[in-house]
Amino acid sequence: MSDPLLASINAAAHGLFAQSARMRVLSENIANAETTGKTPGADPYQRKIINFENVVDDANGVDMVEAGDISKDTAPFRTEYMPGHPAADDKGYVKLPNVDMTVELADMREASRGYTANTQVIKQARELVSMTIDLLRPSS
Amino acid sequence: MSLSIAMLSPYSLGGAVAPATPATPVPSASSSAAAPQNDFAQTLASMAADAVSTIKAGESTAMAGMKGQASLQHVVQAVMQAEQTLHTVVAVRDKVVGAYLEISRMQI
Repeated sequence: MSDPLLASINAAAHGLFAQSARMRVLSENIANAETTGKTPGADPYQRKIINFENVVDDANGVDMVEAGDISKDTAPFRTEYMPGHPAADDKGYVKLPNVDMTVELADMREASRGYTANTQVIKQARELVSMTIDLLRPSS
Repeated sequence: MSLSIAMLSPYSLGGAVAPATPATPVPSASSSAAAPQNDFAQTLASMAADAVSTIKAGESTAMAGMKGQASLQHVVQAVMQAEQTLHTVVAVRDKVVGAYLEISRMQI
Protein backbone atom coordinates (compact mmCIF):
# COMPACT_ATOMS: atom_id res chain seq x y z
CA MET A 1 0.00 0.00 0.00
CA SER A 2 2.15 2.77 -1.27
CA ASP A 3 -0.67 5.10 -2.20
CA PRO A 4 -0.53 8.21 0.03
CA LEU A 5 -4.31 8.56 0.20
CA LEU A 6 -4.78 4.97 1.32
CA ALA A 7 -1.91 5.44 3.77
CA SER A 8 -3.61 8.48 5.26
CA ILE A 9 -6.83 6.50 5.65
CA ASN A 10 -4.81 3.84 7.45
CA ALA A 11 -3.17 6.40 9.74
CA ALA A 12 -6.54 7.97 10.56
CA ALA A 13 -8.00 4.54 11.30
CA HIS A 14 -5.18 3.96 13.78
CA GLY A 15 -6.06 7.34 15.30
CA LEU A 16 -9.67 6.22 15.67
CA PHE A 17 -8.56 3.09 17.46
CA ALA A 18 -6.23 5.02 19.79
CA GLN A 19 -8.93 7.54 20.69
CA SER A 20 -11.40 4.76 21.41
CA ALA A 21 -8.83 3.12 23.69
CA ARG A 22 -8.47 6.45 25.48
CA MET A 23 -12.25 6.62 25.81
CA ARG A 24 -12.22 3.16 27.37
CA VAL A 25 -9.64 4.12 29.98
CA LEU A 26 -11.38 7.31 31.01
CA SER A 27 -14.73 5.57 31.19
CA GLU A 28 -13.10 3.14 33.62
CA ASN A 29 -11.91 6.14 35.64
CA ILE A 30 -15.37 7.71 35.71
CA ALA A 31 -17.07 4.42 36.58
CA ASN A 32 -14.66 3.83 39.45
CA ALA A 33 -14.69 7.41 40.76
CA GLU A 34 -16.10 6.26 44.10
CA THR A 35 -14.57 2.78 44.34
CA THR A 36 -12.97 2.27 47.75
CA GLY A 37 -11.02 -0.59 49.23
CA LYS A 38 -12.66 -3.33 51.29
CA THR A 39 -10.34 -3.71 54.25
CA PRO A 40 -9.40 -0.99 56.77
CA GLY A 41 -6.82 1.41 55.33
CA ALA A 42 -6.84 -0.31 51.92
CA ASP A 43 -6.02 1.68 48.80
CA PRO A 44 -8.97 2.63 46.59
CA TYR A 45 -9.09 2.56 42.77
CA GLN A 46 -6.09 4.33 41.31
CA ARG A 47 -6.71 6.59 38.31
CA LYS A 48 -5.38 5.19 35.01
CA ILE A 49 -3.54 7.25 32.40
CA ILE A 50 -3.20 6.11 28.78
CA ASN A 51 -0.09 6.93 26.76
CA PHE A 52 -0.04 7.25 23.00
CA GLU A 53 2.94 5.88 21.10
CA ASN A 54 4.31 6.68 17.71
CA VAL A 55 4.62 3.52 15.61
CA VAL A 56 6.26 3.62 12.19
CA ASP A 57 4.70 1.32 9.63
CA ASP A 58 7.81 -0.23 8.08
CA ALA A 59 6.19 -1.07 4.76
CA ASN A 60 5.19 2.51 3.99
CA GLY A 61 7.17 4.67 6.39
CA VAL A 62 3.96 6.17 7.76
CA ASP A 63 3.89 7.32 11.39
CA MET A 64 0.92 5.67 13.07
CA VAL A 65 -0.40 6.30 16.55
CA GLU A 66 -1.04 3.43 18.88
CA ALA A 67 -2.33 3.22 22.42
CA GLY A 68 0.68 2.26 24.53
CA ASP A 69 1.05 1.29 28.16
CA ILE A 70 -1.61 2.23 30.67
CA SER A 71 0.04 3.74 33.74
CA LYS A 72 -1.35 4.62 37.16
CA ASP A 73 -1.74 8.18 38.41
CA THR A 74 0.47 8.62 41.49
CA ALA A 75 -1.41 11.65 42.81
CA PRO A 76 -2.48 11.33 46.50
CA PHE A 77 -5.91 9.91 47.26
CA ARG A 78 -8.76 11.99 48.61
CA THR A 79 -9.79 11.14 52.17
CA GLU A 80 -13.18 11.45 53.78
CA TYR A 81 -14.31 10.95 57.36
CA MET A 82 -16.63 7.91 57.38
CA PRO A 83 -16.02 5.93 60.58
CA GLY A 84 -18.60 3.23 59.78
CA HIS A 85 -17.12 2.36 56.40
CA PRO A 86 -15.37 -1.04 56.06
CA ALA A 87 -12.32 0.64 54.51
CA ALA A 88 -12.00 3.28 57.26
CA ASP A 89 -8.64 3.37 59.04
CA ASP A 90 -8.25 3.61 62.83
CA LYS A 91 -8.92 7.38 62.75
CA GLY A 92 -12.11 6.90 60.72
CA TYR A 93 -10.83 8.20 57.39
CA VAL A 94 -11.59 6.40 54.12
CA LYS A 95 -9.32 6.79 51.08
CA LEU A 96 -11.24 7.68 47.92
CA PRO A 97 -9.88 7.38 44.34
CA ASN A 98 -7.72 10.20 42.93
CA VAL A 99 -10.19 10.67 40.06
CA ASP A 100 -11.25 14.24 39.33
CA MET A 101 -14.56 14.24 37.44
CA THR A 102 -13.82 17.61 35.79
CA VAL A 103 -10.52 16.36 34.37
CA GLU A 104 -12.14 13.17 33.11
CA LEU A 105 -14.97 15.02 31.41
CA ALA A 106 -12.52 17.42 29.73
CA ASP A 107 -10.47 14.43 28.61
CA MET A 108 -13.59 12.78 27.22
CA ARG A 109 -14.43 15.88 25.22
CA GLU A 110 -10.89 15.89 23.85
CA ALA A 111 -11.08 12.21 22.87
CA SER A 112 -14.38 12.87 21.13
CA ARG A 113 -12.90 15.78 19.19
CA GLY A 114 -9.91 13.67 18.17
CA TYR A 115 -12.19 10.88 17.00
CA THR A 116 -14.26 13.30 14.95
CA ALA A 117 -11.15 14.80 13.36
CA ASN A 118 -9.91 11.36 12.32
CA THR A 119 -13.28 10.42 10.82
CA GLN A 120 -13.19 13.67 8.83
CA VAL A 121 -9.73 12.75 7.51
CA ILE A 122 -11.06 9.36 6.39
CA LYS A 123 -14.09 10.95 4.77
CA GLN A 124 -11.99 13.47 2.86
CA ALA A 125 -9.40 10.91 1.69
CA ARG A 126 -12.19 8.58 0.57
CA GLU A 127 -13.74 11.36 -1.46
CA LEU A 128 -10.42 12.11 -3.14
CA VAL A 129 -9.89 8.43 -3.98
CA SER A 130 -13.39 8.20 -5.43
CA MET A 131 -12.80 11.33 -7.50
CA THR A 132 -9.59 9.83 -8.85
CA ILE A 133 -11.29 6.56 -9.79
CA ASP A 134 -14.09 8.50 -11.44
CA LEU A 135 -11.54 9.95 -13.84
CA LEU A 136 -11.50 6.53 -15.53
CA ARG A 137 -15.20 6.55 -16.19
CA PRO A 138 -16.36 7.94 -19.51
CA SER A 139 -17.78 11.41 -19.05
CA SER A 140 -21.31 11.47 -20.37
CA MET B 1 -3.18 -1.80 -3.34
CA SER B 2 -2.02 1.32 -5.08
CA LEU B 3 -4.02 3.19 -7.63
CA SER B 4 -1.64 2.54 -10.49
CA ILE B 5 -3.64 4.29 -13.14
CA ALA B 6 -0.51 5.08 -15.13
CA MET B 7 -0.36 1.47 -16.28
CA LEU B 8 -3.20 2.20 -18.67
CA SER B 9 -0.86 4.42 -20.64
CA PRO B 10 -0.79 3.85 -24.41
CA TYR B 11 2.80 2.68 -24.19
CA SER B 12 2.01 -0.36 -22.11
CA LEU B 13 -1.10 -1.15 -24.15
CA GLY B 14 0.88 -0.82 -27.39
CA GLY B 15 3.58 -3.08 -26.03
CA ALA B 16 1.07 -5.87 -25.49
CA VAL B 17 -1.05 -5.50 -28.59
CA ALA B 18 1.24 -4.56 -31.45
CA PRO B 19 4.53 -6.48 -31.32
CA ALA B 20 4.30 -7.23 -35.04
CA THR B 21 7.78 -5.96 -35.80
CA PRO B 22 9.96 -6.82 -32.85
CA ALA B 23 13.03 -5.25 -34.43
CA THR B 24 11.67 -1.73 -34.05
CA PRO B 25 13.17 0.03 -31.06
CA VAL B 26 10.71 0.40 -28.22
CA PRO B 27 10.04 3.99 -27.15
CA SER B 28 12.21 4.93 -24.22
CA ALA B 29 9.22 5.85 -22.08
CA SER B 30 7.92 2.28 -22.19
CA SER B 31 11.21 0.65 -21.26
CA SER B 32 11.69 2.99 -18.31
CA ALA B 33 8.09 2.86 -17.08
CA ALA B 34 7.63 -0.93 -17.02
CA ALA B 35 10.04 -3.83 -16.94
CA PRO B 36 10.25 -5.51 -20.34
CA GLN B 37 9.00 -8.91 -19.18
CA ASN B 38 6.17 -7.31 -17.18
CA ASP B 39 3.61 -6.83 -19.92
CA PHE B 40 0.11 -5.42 -19.69
CA ALA B 41 -1.66 -8.75 -19.21
CA GLN B 42 0.63 -9.68 -16.34
CA THR B 43 0.12 -6.30 -14.72
CA LEU B 44 -3.65 -6.74 -14.96
CA ALA B 45 -3.46 -10.25 -13.56
CA SER B 46 -1.36 -9.24 -10.56
CA MET B 47 -3.63 -6.29 -9.92
CA ALA B 48 -6.69 -8.55 -10.02
CA ALA B 49 -5.08 -10.99 -7.59
CA ASP B 50 -4.22 -8.08 -5.31
CA ALA B 51 -7.82 -6.86 -5.45
CA VAL B 52 -9.23 -10.30 -4.68
CA SER B 53 -6.99 -10.65 -1.63
CA THR B 54 -8.02 -7.17 -0.39
CA ILE B 55 -11.71 -8.01 -0.76
CA LYS B 56 -11.22 -11.36 0.97
CA ALA B 57 -9.41 -9.61 3.83
CA GLY B 58 -12.37 -7.22 4.12
CA GLU B 59 -14.81 -10.12 4.29
CA SER B 60 -12.83 -12.04 6.90
CA THR B 61 -12.43 -8.92 9.04
CA ALA B 62 -16.17 -8.32 8.82
CA MET B 63 -16.77 -11.91 9.96
CA ALA B 64 -14.36 -11.45 12.86
CA GLY B 65 -16.21 -8.26 13.76
CA MET B 66 -19.52 -10.15 13.88
CA LYS B 67 -17.95 -12.60 16.30
CA GLY B 68 -16.63 -9.74 18.40
CA GLN B 69 -12.98 -10.49 17.64
CA ALA B 70 -12.19 -7.32 15.70
CA SER B 71 -12.79 -3.72 16.67
CA LEU B 72 -15.38 -1.60 14.91
CA GLN B 73 -12.68 0.63 13.49
CA HIS B 74 -10.80 -2.29 11.92
CA VAL B 75 -13.97 -3.70 10.38
CA VAL B 76 -14.98 -0.35 8.90
CA GLN B 77 -11.50 0.26 7.53
CA ALA B 78 -11.20 -3.18 5.94
CA VAL B 79 -14.67 -3.04 4.40
CA MET B 80 -14.03 0.48 3.11
CA GLN B 81 -10.78 -0.62 1.52
CA ALA B 82 -12.51 -3.60 -0.10
CA GLU B 83 -15.22 -1.31 -1.44
CA GLN B 84 -12.70 1.10 -2.92
CA THR B 85 -10.75 -1.77 -4.45
CA LEU B 86 -13.94 -3.03 -6.06
CA HIS B 87 -14.66 0.42 -7.48
CA THR B 88 -11.14 0.61 -8.89
CA VAL B 89 -11.41 -2.84 -10.44
CA VAL B 90 -14.76 -2.04 -12.01
CA ALA B 91 -13.46 1.22 -13.44
CA VAL B 92 -10.33 -0.42 -14.87
CA ARG B 93 -12.40 -3.30 -16.30
CA ASP B 94 -14.75 -0.86 -18.03
CA LYS B 95 -11.77 0.95 -19.47
CA VAL B 96 -10.11 -2.25 -20.74
CA VAL B 97 -13.33 -3.61 -22.24
CA GLY B 98 -13.87 -0.25 -23.88
CA ALA B 99 -10.39 -0.39 -25.37
CA TYR B 100 -10.99 -3.86 -26.84
CA LEU B 101 -14.34 -2.77 -28.26
CA GLU B 102 -12.63 0.21 -29.79
CA ILE B 103 -10.09 -2.08 -31.45
CA SER B 104 -12.78 -4.48 -32.70
CA ARG B 105 -14.62 -1.60 -34.34
CA MET B 106 -11.53 -0.63 -36.28
CA GLN B 107 -11.86 -0.88 -40.07
CA ILE B 108 -9.65 -3.52 -41.69
